[in-house]
Amino acid sequence: MHDELEFENCSHSHDPVVGCALEGVSNIIAGIRDISIVLHSPQGCASTVALGYDNHETDFTQRKVACTRLFETDIIMGASEKLRDLILKADATFKTKVMFVVGTCSADIIGEDIEGMCRSLQPKVGAQLIPVHSGGFRGDLYAGMDLGLSTLLTFVRPLDGPKLTRSVNLIAPQASLNPTWWADLKWAKGVLSAMGVETHCVFPSTTSIEEISLASAATANIFLTHDMGYNFSRDMEKKHGVPTILRDLPLPIGLKNTSNWLRALGEYFDASDVAEQLIESGETLVTDILRRRGLMLIPRYRNAKVAISADASMTIGLVRMLFEELEMIPDLLLVRSSSEQAKTLLEAELNRLGISPRVAFGVDGYKVKQSLAAMELDAIFGSAWEKYIAEELGTKLAFDLFQPTNRTCYRDSAYFGYEGMINMLEIIANDWEAALRSKEIRWEQYQE
Amino acid sequence: MSDSETVVAAATPSIADSIVFHGSLSELYRLAKAGKIPTSLQGSHTRPCKFWTASKILSGIRNSILLTHGPSGCAFGVKQAYKLTNSRNSAAPYEPVVSTNLKQTQIVYGGERELKAAILEVDKKYKPSIIFVATSCATGIIGDNVDAVTSQIASQINAQILPVHCEGFAGEYRSGFDLVFREITKLMDAPTAESKAALSEYVNIVGAKMGPERTEIDTDVKELVRLIEGIGGKVHSVIAGNCSLDELRRAPSVAVNCALCLDLGYAIGSAMQDAFGTPLNSTILPYGIAATERWILGAAKYIGKTAEAKALMESEYAAIKEEYEQVLSHLEGKTAIVEGHDAIKSLSIAHMLERDFKMRAIVYNFHPWSAEARETSIDYLLETGLDPEILITKGTLALGKYESMQQTEDELLEFLGSLNPRETVYFGSSLSFPNIPLVDLNAILNRPRFGYRGALKVAKCIKTALDYGFRPRSAMSKRIVFPQNSGLVSVQSLTGKLAQDMPDCTMYAGQRRKGQCMMS
Repeated sequence: MHDELEFENCSHSHDPVVGCALEGVSNIIAGIRDISIVLHSPQGCASTVALGYDNHETDFTQRKVACTRLFETDIIMGASEKLRDLILKADATFKTKVMFVVGTCSADIIGEDIEGMCRSLQPKVGAQLIPVHSGGFRGDLYAGMDLGLSTLLTFVRPLDGPKLTRSVNLIAPQASLNPTWWADLKWAKGVLSAMGVETHCVFPSTTSIEEISLASAATANIFLTHDMGYNFSRDMEKKHGVPTILRDLPLPIGLKNTSNWLRALGEYFDASDVAEQLIESGETLVTDILRRRGLMLIPRYRNAKVAISADASMTIGLVRMLFEELEMIPDLLLVRSSSEQAKTLLEAELNRLGISPRVAFGVDGYKVKQSLAAMELDAIFGSAWEKYIAEELGTKLAFDLFQPTNRTCYRDSAYFGYEGMINMLEIIANDWEAALRSKEIRWEQYQE
Repeated sequence: MSDSETVVAAATPSIADSIVFHGSLSELYRLAKAGKIPTSLQGSHTRPCKFWTASKILSGIRNSILLTHGPSGCAFGVKQAYKLTNSRNSAAPYEPVVSTNLKQTQIVYGGERELKAAILEVDKKYKPSIIFVATSCATGIIGDNVDAVTSQIASQINAQILPVHCEGFAGEYRSGFDLVFREITKLMDAPTAESKAALSEYVNIVGAKMGPERTEIDTDVKELVRLIEGIGGKVHSVIAGNCSLDELRRAPSVAVNCALCLDLGYAIGSAMQDAFGTPLNSTILPYGIAATERWILGAAKYIGKTAEAKALMESEYAAIKEEYEQVLSHLEGKTAIVEGHDAIKSLSIAHMLERDFKMRAIVYNFHPWSAEARETSIDYLLETGLDPEILITKGTLALGKYESMQQTEDELLEFLGSLNPRETVYFGSSLSFPNIPLVDLNAILNRPRFGYRGALKVAKCIKTALDYGFRPRSAMSKRIVFPQNSGLVSVQSLTGKLAQDMPDCTMYAGQRRKGQCMMS
């Protein structure tokens, strides 16, 4: 029930708003404890790996990355010796349990045999060597995260013993544009715990290889993203009999989505009473706070025509919160990823809400700017990119909620759940105040 | 063995064990050339690749589109690092970096068709003055004929087009700077008598990168512009710091190119000198009065303003004289350890400390790689008689980042044990914790650093550091940077925001942080 946008002159040129497969792979690997990375690539690719670590805010003492720094002669003659030497040196220096040997575009194209190298060196090193081909041409950030998860799947051991009955794996919390996404992970763990459900394994965030290897014992998998991970969840079910639950629900963003999510979870784990308690206390928290501190959001936001420019995880969840709860009109939805599952989920949600905004998936910077310019909008929910585009277009209100954000975030703030809603509303309110305050003092008005 | 080596060896045998090299720059240079000291960077010392550094310069040309031929990740990385930084710090509007977004199929079958189509699209939808087609590792390896595509398509588009072969593997970090500065001379028009007459009082400031200057900060570039205008000259263009294609075209007609950065300024300055005969005023970075005066006089000579320059030098000095001389009396004879990660900057600071402040400067952990990578500049410095003392310890050559590495930190502390802490200051990142007063010239409030005002600013920074040397460094800060059992890696690997605060200006803006290149 949405109006899919079409763009001219965009078939061959792309102004990316997400990284490449290497960043996606790094974003997965960086979530595992006690590992190191030997990067077989020219040195610039190390910055892309650093972005993966940045997204986890990994303490610098835990970033153990070495790069073969390939140059022209290496490309022409091959660089197996260089790779071999660096693996040995890195193993002796880093002393990690597992070492990912990551090949990027260059190593991938010239056909460096990193699997063979890992096999032949394995007896000589302490770390378990895991080769990963991560050429950026293999896809975008989300494709890379899928690639990373498929590599982790090889660590998952077949179930050896009884299945756990109240235990879940959480999938890809880092595939989210919340700048402090780990707060969402913490929220999810908290509500699971309240329902007597253990978080068995997170794929991955400060997760150990041992935890991953035992993931097949979990009762179910739960997505914390709608942008990727679908192949992984299918394979986990097929190979290890772990089903994915709540997959057809928007993530717990806003009152209704959160209560739906909690109810479905409670129902699955026979903890509906706990779910209802969480819902009641959460909704009370939100309304009490807003009554005291946010009453004016009602006249402010009502019937404001807005755009959301984000990933599928946030966009699908926000639509209902903005439309039903804040009484805004989401007129434009711009989604950075383009999975079929997310498209289906958004379609279903828009049908339920009875609205038909204009929508585009897999957007780039040009499409974002063109779409925003073409619409008459009161406000944009987006990142720093959208903030600067809005400035140029003259759209006064741009809420800087998502990555890359221009806000400094010292405190972790969930976007999921009831406090998450308050956190987002706080950012929106502050951005509103800052945007609409006069920027200059008209001194002449004060002259006697 | 030098006197200083003898003292160190006798006083602290442990530091002597850690020293890889302690001597003059010329001696280090000789050893590096003879292959007697390792000059390769460790695997942990990744710098931006040629593609990144090329893109950094290209990001400073207005109304241009950088079209990267390859997978999208390369475009995304530089867009986030440079374009987002331009927007955040300098109020630049949103600027794209476009990619042909090659996938596996094009890697197998070639991507020339995609490139051609992308160029046509970019020309239509962005209407730029110029399209720079930057090659990536992937397209370099598969051998797409980018030159042929761009020359064939040039007549079909409104924009000018220039291919830039900057595959990440095709050279060291700075080769991208050199390449672009050389390539953009192809966009320039040869001077005519008429154009030279029109620009006879103009100079270019060359060797800049990225976008516009920040409005709220007294940047070094703005200080240099002020000085040029102070002698009655005019600045035609800052290349490539927010310059236009039109400015580039007319750039060779100016009276002189003045190098902002000795290294990068020399690259474009010499290229323009060779191609168009444009004179080059290439000095070390104008830190301190001696270097500033050389820079000003070098410019003034070509615009016929020598008398005005001398008058300006007098008035500029007069404006700071009282305070400057008073501060200077506290600095003379003291020792400064200068962090050597940013090779040219550290040598320029050493020059200022020795020539202007009469201090002893020891450049610490100047990586021998720099002796090779910065050959042109070092040749120049040695020719001018600058030959500072260099100290390199083992941590610099270890696997791991040396900027704030525990090992180099410990080695520094051992070395300092032989020096008088009340008479010694450390020039480096505030994220280092030597037990002596520390001066961090990259701190954003310590601007400008160039010129007379800069000389006073730096001198006052040293005095302030000495005055408050009694205050121990914050235990909290130290614990933030060096948690227990850290060691191998460095602050360079912290989140993007912190990495940006590192001194060597080679870092990347992270996804969630306000990043900025401090070398604005």
